[in-house]
Amino acid sequence: MGRVAELERRQSAMELHVINSIQQSLDNNQPLSFQALASLRSLIINPATPDSTLSSVLDALTRSLQLNRDPVFLHHAVKLLSDLASHRPHLSPFALDLLRSDSLFSSASPRLVGESLSVLLSLASIGNDMDAARFVSLCLGPSVSVRQCLLRNAEKLVFRESVLLAVFLGFTRDPYPYVRKEALDGLVKLCKNGDFDDRDVIEGCYCRAVELLRDAENYVRSAAVRAVCEWGRLLVICSEDMNKQDSSDAVFIQLGCMVRDMSLDVRLEAFEALGKIGLVSEDILLQTLSKKVLGINKDKAYKPIEGLDISVSAVAGAYIHRLEDEFSEVRMSACYSLRTLTVFSLRFACEALNLMMDMLNDDSTVSRLQALDTIHHMATSDHLKVEKIHIHRFLSVLVDSSSVIRSMTRKILKLAKLPQFELFKLCIDGLLGNLEIYPQDEADVLSALFHFGRNHGKFTVHIIEEVAPEMEPASGGKLSFDSTRVAAFLVLAISAPLSHEKDVSAIPPRIFSYAVTWLGRISYGLSDIMNQEKLLAYLSECSRSSTISLADFKINEALLTVEGDASIPLCSKVDSPVSMPFWKDSGGISDYHHQEFLSLGKSAAHAEYELGEHSELRKYVNLIFKKVKDSWSLVELGCTTEACKGIRACKEEVASFTTESPGSFGAVAFTLQYLQVIEMLAKVWGHLRATKMLNPNGVGKLELLFAKLDRRLREISNRFIGLSKGEELQILDLVLVACLLRLSKVEICCCNAAMKLLSSTVAHVEYLHKEGSIEPSNFVTEVKKSLHDADSSSSSSSCQPLLFKKLLDSFSLQQFVLYGTPRSVHAELAVPGNDSENPLPFIPGIPASIPLAITLHNVLTESRLWVRISMGEESTQFVFLDLNLIRNKKRSINVVREFTFVAPFYRTPKAVSFTVRASLGLECFRENVDRVKVFGGPKCELTYLCPEKEIFLCKSTECKSKSAFT
Amino acid sequence: MAIDCLVLGAGQEVGKSCMVVSINGKRIMFDCGMHMGYTDSRRYPDFSLISKTGDFDNALTCVIVTHFHLDHIGALPYFTEVCGYKGPIYMTYPTKALAPLMLEDYRKNMDRRGEDEQFTSDHIAECMKKVIPVNLKQTVQVDKDLQIRAYYAGHVIGAAMFYAKVGDAAMVYTGDYNMTPDRHLGAAQIDRLQLDLLITESTYATTIRDSRYGREREFLKAVHNCVAAGGKVLIPTFALGRAQELCILLEDYWERMNLKVPIYFSAGLTIQANMYYKMLINWTSQKIKETYATHNAFDFKNVRNFDRSLINAPGPCVLFATPGMIVGGFSLKVFMQWAPSENNLVTLPGYCVAGTIGHKLMSGKLTKIDLDKDTQINVRCQIHQLSFSPHTDAKGIMDLVKFLSPKHAILVHGEKPKMATLKERIQSELGIQCYCPANNETVTIPSTHYVKADASGTFIRSCLNPNFKFSTCSSTDKSYLDSNKSKAVSRLSVSDDRATEGILVVEKGKKAKVIHQDEFLHMLGEKKHEIQFAYCFPMHMARTEDLSSTSHMLCSFDKCTLISRLSMILSDELSEGNILDLGEELQVESFRVSVCSSDNCPHRLSSSLQNGSESVFFCCHWSVADEKLAWKIISIMKNSTL
Repeated sequence: MGRVAELERRQSAMELHVINSIQQSLDNNQPLSFQALASLRSLIINPATPDSTLSSVLDALTRSLQLNRDPVFLHHAVKLLSDLASHRPHLSPFALDLLRSDSLFSSASPRLVGESLSVLLSLASIGNDMDAARFVSLCLGPSVSVRQCLLRNAEKLVFRESVLLAVFLGFTRDPYPYVRKEALDGLVKLCKNGDFDDRDVIEGCYCRAVELLRDAENYVRSAAVRAVCEWGRLLVICSEDMNKQDSSDAVFIQLGCMVRDMSLDVRLEAFEALGKIGLVSEDILLQTLSKKVLGINKDKAYKPIEGLDISVSAVAGAYIHRLEDEFSEVRMSACYSLRTLTVFSLRFACEALNLMMDMLNDDSTVSRLQALDTIHHMATSDHLKVEKIHIHRFLSVLVDSSSVIRSMTRKILKLAKLPQFELFKLCIDGLLGNLEIYPQDEADVLSALFHFGRNHGKFTVHIIEEVAPEMEPASGGKLSFDSTRVAAFLVLAISAPLSHEKDVSAIPPRIFSYAVTWLGRISYGLSDIMNQEKLLAYLSECSRSSTISLADFKINEALLTVEGDASIPLCSKVDSPVSMPFWKDSGGISDYHHQEFLSLGKSAAHAEYELGEHSELRKYVNLIFKKVKDSWSLVELGCTTEACKGIRACKEEVASFTTESPGSFGAVAFTLQYLQVIEMLAKVWGHLRATKMLNPNGVGKLELLFAKLDRRLREISNRFIGLSKGEELQILDLVLVACLLRLSKVEICCCNAAMKLLSSTVAHVEYLHKEGSIEPSNFVTEVKKSLHDADSSSSSSSCQPLLFKKLLDSFSLQQFVLYGTPRSVHAELAVPGNDSENPLPFIPGIPASIPLAITLHNVLTESRLWVRISMGEESTQFVFLDLNLIRNKKRSINVVREFTFVAPFYRTPKAVSFTVRASLGLECFRENVDRVKVFGGPKCELTYLCPEKEIFLCKSTECKSKSAFT
Repeated sequence: MAIDCLVLGAGQEVGKSCMVVSINGKRIMFDCGMHMGYTDSRRYPDFSLISKTGDFDNALTCVIVTHFHLDHIGALPYFTEVCGYKGPIYMTYPTKALAPLMLEDYRKNMDRRGEDEQFTSDHIAECMKKVIPVNLKQTVQVDKDLQIRAYYAGHVIGAAMFYAKVGDAAMVYTGDYNMTPDRHLGAAQIDRLQLDLLITESTYATTIRDSRYGREREFLKAVHNCVAAGGKVLIPTFALGRAQELCILLEDYWERMNLKVPIYFSAGLTIQANMYYKMLINWTSQKIKETYATHNAFDFKNVRNFDRSLINAPGPCVLFATPGMIVGGFSLKVFMQWAPSENNLVTLPGYCVAGTIGHKLMSGKLTKIDLDKDTQINVRCQIHQLSFSPHTDAKGIMDLVKFLSPKHAILVHGEKPKMATLKERIQSELGIQCYCPANNETVTIPSTHYVKADASGTFIRSCLNPNFKFSTCSSTDKSYLDSNKSKAVSRLSVSDDRATEGILVVEKGKKAKVIHQDEFLHMLGEKKHEIQFAYCFPMHMARTEDLSSTSHMLCSFDKCTLISRLSMILSDELSEGNILDLGEELQVESFRVSVCSSDNCPHRLSSSLQNGSESVFFCCHWSVADEKLAWKIISIMKNSTL
């Protein structure tokens, strides 16, 4: 303590000294020395300096500003004031006033004005003190940097549009290219925000931008491209209706000239702009795909504005030329802008398809993918006309080694409409080839076949007739059902009745019954269309009747109602079921199945159906729960070991369940967790309820067990979302039991905390009961009653172990029934590239940064996450992870979030190397931390979402030498 | 100052590129190629035109070679070793590395054909010792005055365009270049330069080529179909360039399609060349450069060395064999074996020299080829013609010329009639003077000469401050759409006249100086003279009672009323101009009018004397610029009554 006081005393003495010496020199009308300025700065940036000192510093600065006009001094003064304003927000108004004063911001020196301007802007406090006249006069001043700065920030200064327009337009004439660029950017912003209807102005701006398309500097040209695009669009809007098309064409051509620019940025910008021009005539679009000037476009010149004649030939081959650009960025951007333009013209789309098919040979996968995406887009906008010359190229992509490319191709096939049987057959062969070479694609190929067959009913019937012998049982009555080829044809066959063509009754009914034998495989492939039960119902319906029965229609309608609009075919929806399978949307899952089921007209086993495709799994899980309940009776009888053995067997069984289908992972994880809780509970129960006395060794062990139990309980109540109220209540029962168990043993009880937890849990249980209007169980009522009694009867906080022991008797484990689909909240934590051989560098005593690659599953945004980093036993540190600050790609809660978070580790030891353990914890709101609070750490207990990860750190110089050796 | 260009080769033809440019006293020889079509003296450029005495060292400052093709470098060993040029030679690193391979290969072929040897292996080695390699965009100071710089040209690996600058005169010689990238090479890339002269190749002066993808697709389809049917594909090709391009294409396709059919390279030159390519990653296309860190694109995974025993091995394969056009050697040997089977495929380049087997195959559907009088080959295999070309097309040439916008352009390396068409286009569309000289002709063009000038303080200050003006320029547009009547189009435009305010003054014996226009008069010691027009005329007045008595005693108040009445009239009648009422005076632009109270005004015409009681005289002044406006106003005033 003495030392601190001494230090403080010394500091204040120093401050006094500095201030005094400054005052002195000011009184003598001497300018401040640099040394004095430096000590002022140290005072300002020192957080311990009291405000009184700082205000005298401000005074001193004010006075010296009046005295001194030396530019070097003024420069330092600006710096000091900006430091002051940023370090002490409450003093910043004074500092800003000084900055705005005559000697700085309003001074004649442009450099000073520029400096104070940028400080004012960085503190976001300029606005009122700059009127238009001053803005303009500053802009017109000789300093280029001030001019540039003002133009860039003109938005923030908010003036009338007319002023800004004049200034921006004027400075497009500036000899300095960066000023020109800022002026153009300003014009673009102005155009986007502003509201102009004066054609003269628009034309003026447009013409100026067009002139700058020929600027010598790349960045001016790209800014000019943006400006031409924006003002061009405005020009189109303000044109008379009959000239609109011409104006739009002219703007398009103007921009089209720029795609042959030598600079990559300009080319990219040009394509982006081309995609934005909506209204373009077909002739011009076609011209962009032909290097030779088309006859119709010969001698055709456009004149959007007098003096800006432009010929269509300028745009000749714009796309063809740039789709073979050296840079894949340009190729992709060309593909992308092509995609937006194909919507306007069918002919253009056909021509563009040729190019896209060629693009499928591109050497970069992303470009190929973009090309496929463009084709897909054409298909969704119904502008895809596949011809024979394309089909080979296109189908060869089906055997591409990249699975993404293959799946994208199938996605397009699902939407394709082919005019000829020949092409149809080629596509089917292509898909079969795909299936043969890449068996892993089976599910998606089957789905593609189904959609494809459905879109081509007649062809499907035709082809099934051809291959029918293959599908018939071979001699000896054996079906060659191991052949995937047969499966593929079966899928094709069963798709036919769902097509919208009338003449599809020719599929022999027995084929549908063959398909039944393939139910599992087929339904897996068609999981995006119908579930297994529905498929079965459909198949059995079809196999019974040779003509299209009423049932078929029903199914058809059911499908359509599910998918939205009944009048248009499935494929023409932009968000086709392929790209966004609706069953993945967990929100609507039960509704969808419900509705679909009702429309099938059956009502049996409704509850089972609600479970959807996980019904099977759920059945098993619920069987397990039944087993658990049975083994609990063993626990109550005191045969803990036997019970635990049974539970462990269940655990093994659950672990063997597949977790592949979506949603099942959560259910399995939940079951496992439940089993673990019960196991721990059984062990504790066994210890406590045993008739024999506790031996001293046992206390330690019991405490360990309790800790484990608590952790398990915390995990089960916090790490799963999507549980129903009933399910949640059952878990709370277990929490209550755990509390009671704790309270029933004086030796280990930390009475207050346990009581607190008990009452809060009871309160929550009560709340849930009210919410869900569920009758509380006998056990809960008992607990509530006794708790109430205990509160009212005794003010003494002494525990009543006997009471609690008695309460425990009323507890019996209910059978847990899983209804919903619990989703597991968990996370993955990794430090890429870190292991004992490749440690992260650190400098002892200075915080080390640890880059953590984090994947969050099902974590709600409102939950509070902490990164716990501990070094050995002695030092643990928590870092808060603000989920709101992490960019969220999708809005749904079922999202998997992946991001990198750099966690600081503050207390690096003086060691050559050390390891820390990091894990990710979720704060549980219901449980308060009862230990000594870690400063800045979580307020409540944490549930850890992932296993601890060991991270290796090594002193940074050591690292270097080590890596040099290796 | 002028730039003289002596065309020694590739003038209105393709072959033996060679050009000697004299620029501000420096003489540079660009390329030193040979013509493959001749075996006599026409094979080499006529070096005697450079120097009668054969003293080339003093006649030339340096030799610059753009790339390693024989029509650009073939005569170099002859020129240095036989003719005795000892000065510096510049070429890029890859060209220096690969040129000896090409030259040696050519020399061997010459040997084989039994032609007289023009140079030996030692000559090639000695010649290469004189070469100074340069890097892209590296400025090389050849001597005190001459700077050269290489720019990426595409075409083949290591090909470059060269920029040369002596004093104020600058030029670019492109060599061969390609404005579109291919699989292994990028597109030509150059800065915006201030040029007096651009010498460009014009192989495809009128051709517009279609997309590269189409050619690739055809090629891949042919090859894939052939190997899928179990056939063998023979690709006779030169070792450098085309072989690597096609191989990268096939390799990529093989990877994507998971094909396992072997691809072979016949041993020898190609293997050696691949090794060089692996090292010259810097000179390849963007894609190869990008992926180089993970995989060197010239590390062909599927490619193996070919063993002669494999010629008749069963099963499909693809073989790259040298030399191209099946002129002999290994490719001929394989061709003889494979040609009789219709399963097999031979791909030929787009261009084969007449007389080669390649040329015969291309010229029509053949069934038999007579190799010599004893040997006859049955040709049943499929023939696929490739049209890959590493030259830019007409559009590319236009793009480059437009981008560089030189003051003059010279076309070389092309066919005469097509060059003439392109020349016309350049002149008419771009407004650039263009020439296409024949061999041994000299073209002289003027070169730039800059004068250094001082600038006055006022001028510099005026340059620093923006001084833009907005104006609405008017013009009459008769052709605007379908409307017959002419329509006035006015547009907002902005101008900034800082530079036009300067006046260049060159005084005898003094340095040139730029001064501000305001200083000009002061400097000359003269005063500004302005021409003004003046006219005094009576204006008809409406007779009113109160005016009649006091018409001769117009007080200043009445003057003001008159002026304001006049102002009202004018504002009704006059469509243009800004009318300013200054009390006793009215101003429209420079036109000023006031009531004239003097009876003997010098501007008054005697004939206009009228009855004074009914009219009042107005005196007008205007400057010459507003003459039209003035007469318009006067006519309005004369025709109306106050």
